[in-house]
Amino acid sequence: MMHCTMDDLLALRAGEASAWARQHADACASCRAELEALYQRVAQLKALPVHRPARDRWPTVRDVVLAERRRRRERWGVRSVAAAAAVAALIVFRPFWTGQVAGAELARIKQQSATLEQQLQRYEPDGRVTSGREAAVASALEDRIAVIDGELTRIGRPDVGVDPAELVKLWQQRVDLMQQLVSVRLTRAAYVGL
Amino acid sequence: MTISLAVPDILVARAKSGDLEALEALYRAFETPVYNLALRMLRRSEDAEDVLQETFLEVVRSIRQYRGEGHLWGWVRQITVSKTLMRIRRGQLRDTEELHEEYTQGGSGLGVGGVPARIDLERAFERLTPTSRAVVWLHDVEGYTHEEIAERMERTVSFSKSQLARAHARLRRLLAEEGAAQ
Repeated sequence: MMHCTMDDLLALRAGEASAWARQHADACASCRAELEALYQRVAQLKALPVHRPARDRWPTVRDVVLAERRRRRERWGVRSVAAAAAVAALIVFRPFWTGQVAGAELARIKQQSATLEQQLQRYEPDGRVTSGREAAVASALEDRIAVIDGELTRIGRPDVGVDPAELVKLWQQRVDLMQQLVSVRLTRAAYVGL
Repeated sequence: MTISLAVPDILVARAKSGDLEALEALYRAFETPVYNLALRMLRRSEDAEDVLQETFLEVVRSIRQYRGEGHLWGWVRQITVSKTLMRIRRGQLRDTEELHEEYTQGGSGLGVGGVPARIDLERAFERLTPTSRAVVWLHDVEGYTHEEIAERMERTVSFSKSQLARAHARLRRLLAEEGAAQ
């Protein structure tokens, strides 16, 4: 007499068995016992004891995360310096433009930017608590600033012609975004204990 | 293993902002279920601990992308399963022969001192191959469908079904052999 295979038993459990398997299981005590044993095995698997990890891996996770954050902040600083250097190069190597660019205006905007950078550097993100929404806003602002830094670096190359008005505009955009970032980071964030 | 882990929204929001205390609180809430899920599929505690670490590194790096749709455990579980299956696919498992040798000591099923070496379901389950263990655990315990398992394992649905059938046939045989030996 042919009995149900394990495939048949699993199909019976899933309610997807063939007509033959269903009829056979109804009539065969041995196959019904096998099906019951299958249910029992799965029930026992679900009831296996819970184990706890022998070692605490959180310190390792935390150290890796902190190291990554430090590297990100360093990259952020390098990007800012690169952008400033790009503009400085423009002023030094393209003096004929400086006459057209409102030098005082550019210097004022750059000073604003530097001040805002200093404010952000004093901020300690690891000890701060902000909402998820504020974190997302800050992240988006940082991305937009990075785009402007990239553009400032690009127009700083000798082979790229630059419109002085465009330069002032880019720096002003950067300062506007930095002000928003400082607002998110410093004004809204607060030290909060869990 | 039944998981019922409610995590306060405020804790998730703080974790999303990068707050380390909140992230550690999430780690403490989920470390045991993550470890057990990995342990059942990988068998070795060291491998499961590695998956625990990799999972939480991913959680910390990606939690900003968590949209709050569904239970946070569901999201963490997906990461855990992904890391575990990746480890199985790459064969990044520690020596798997140790336990087999342990089981075969004494030849006739008798352990040290003539005491019967009882193989219960937990130990029989550990004797399955890593892939079979993963399929059985994901399907029978975690409730994944064959389609979901096939997608995550990058295999076919029939592969998942045949692995499940073979695994149960082997479990039945191992338990029957042990019953006869006692």
